[in-house]
Amino acid sequence: MGTNIGKIPIRLLFLFEILSLSLIFIYRWDNLDFNTFATGIGLVLLVYFSNSFLRKISSGDHYIFLIVSMMFSIGLIMIFRISSDLGIKQLLWLLIGIGVFFASYFLVKNIEFWDKMILVYLGTAYGLFAMTFILGARLRGAINWISIGGVSFQPAEVTKIALIFFLASYYYNIEKYSKNKYSEWIVMGIVYSYIGLLFLQRDLGTALIFFGIYTGLQYIYCNGRRYEIANLSLALLGGSLGYILFDHVKIRVLTWLNPWPYINDKGYQITQSLFAIAEGSYFGTGLGRGNPSFIPLSYNDFIFSSISEEMGVFTGIGVIMLFVLLVYRGFKIALLQNHKFYRIVAIGISLMFGLQAFIIIGGAIKVIPLTGLTLPFISYGGSSIVSSFLALGILQGASEKVVKEDETYE
Amino acid sequence: MFDILSVIFKYVFVIIIYVFIFTIIRMIYLDIKTIKTISGDLKAYLKVLNPLDTIPYKMEDTYVIEDNLTIGRGSDNLVVIRDPYVSKHHLKILLDEGNYFIEDLKSSNGTILNNSKLEDVSILKSGDIIKVGDIDLMFIHKG
Repeated sequence: MGTNIGKIPIRLLFLFEILSLSLIFIYRWDNLDFNTFATGIGLVLLVYFSNSFLRKISSGDHYIFLIVSMMFSIGLIMIFRISSDLGIKQLLWLLIGIGVFFASYFLVKNIEFWDKMILVYLGTAYGLFAMTFILGARLRGAINWISIGGVSFQPAEVTKIALIFFLASYYYNIEKYSKNKYSEWIVMGIVYSYIGLLFLQRDLGTALIFFGIYTGLQYIYCNGRRYEIANLSLALLGGSLGYILFDHVKIRVLTWLNPWPYINDKGYQITQSLFAIAEGSYFGTGLGRGNPSFIPLSYNDFIFSSISEEMGVFTGIGVIMLFVLLVYRGFKIALLQNHKFYRIVAIGISLMFGLQAFIIIGGAIKVIPLTGLTLPFISYGGSSIVSSFLALGILQGASEKVVKEDETYE
Repeated sequence: MFDILSVIFKYVFVIIIYVFIFTIIRMIYLDIKTIKTISGDLKAYLKVLNPLDTIPYKMEDTYVIEDNLTIGRGSDNLVVIRDPYVSKHHLKILLDEGNYFIEDLKSSNGTILNNSKLEDVSILKSGDIIKVGDIDLMFIHKG
């Protein structure tokens, strides 16, 4: 006991992946080719070795990558079950994502001037917005996709991280910036300009995340209650204006309050999602035995409902618990970090994961109005997977003690 | 065939996921516990008595004494005190036949042991307070 407990989760993960992949391979036996099989085994081995490797090279947190490995394993088998094409793509995205994780981990660890690049983050964010408006394609009501050379991605996924770094470099250097009396208002203006642009793209979920991250960090680091009051009143005003002016916002609220009159069109998604969860009951119907294809976007926004249907509400609760643990570890990393910049980044990223999971799971189970978002690490989607791993790599980097010579202790 | 497998596996999956979560929580819990009870397992250590947030440089809460230990301003010491009034190699604690001894390494501003200036090599008792610069360290030795 004690000495060996550290090995248990990684073995359980290994077992889970082997069992679930073999089940899926049996299910997809007819159109299974050697490449899929090899990639699947490759992923299992990669996850196993990157967890052990991380233990050796990183003195920081050893839980977040494990937790995330479990999350994407659950997501992967669900996606594979829904469509083997998407499953293969997701496998590749996961391989890329793990690479991005290590890359961003080493970058965060070895570069020291992250807090001095506030203008770069600002420029990146506005640049990505401009790109979205120029090259963007309207997909499912939102112009938030651009495709370059056949690869389409959602720029807002990267903008989220740019926002966190922007706010972190501002609050880290707040003494310098607060010489300008209006600096806090300027920052608020910038954040609201992002939110406004997202509103114009009709990407309500991401707008909500931006607002959440900003409010959270402002609550912790900004002194002066009047800014917080201004922020909250602006949000309230913007929300009500959005409700009055835009039909798509109104529909979200109406179908949230009572989706049943609109069951054939506007409320279709949410009612199907509820049916699926009810159908699954505690242990689910079993993989391959339910009808997740009845839910629109069952592999993406509504993956939580698909998981609940086929793997049971218990697995659904398990997914929520994994997110709770991830966010808990994120805050723990922030508490243990001495360097203020990395502390703010860690809080921002944990907030981002937590909020995103809450908004989309809450939407799928009709706790809050539905807004289209991906469930980090679980939903299908290249940009979502890659940017989530990017953020996780940053969190991993922030979990290590950054000791600088003569750094003043705060 | 597949249906039977699928039904069996759904229970297996739920069990694996919950055991996984439980183990992680247990590991996190054990980690927290080891930080809190660290003093229970150690034989000899130095505890910094100043509240850490009042020290303008980085210090740990406790320092474990294995056999020998030096305190000073230089980075090669085990206990680094970045105070200009502390010499590069300020003092030394050494273990000899089960007893710990303290020796000042001819530091410019000296070391205070229990309110009196340390002149010669002295034996350390548990509970002794060593003052180096502005930092008060308590020596604790069990057994």
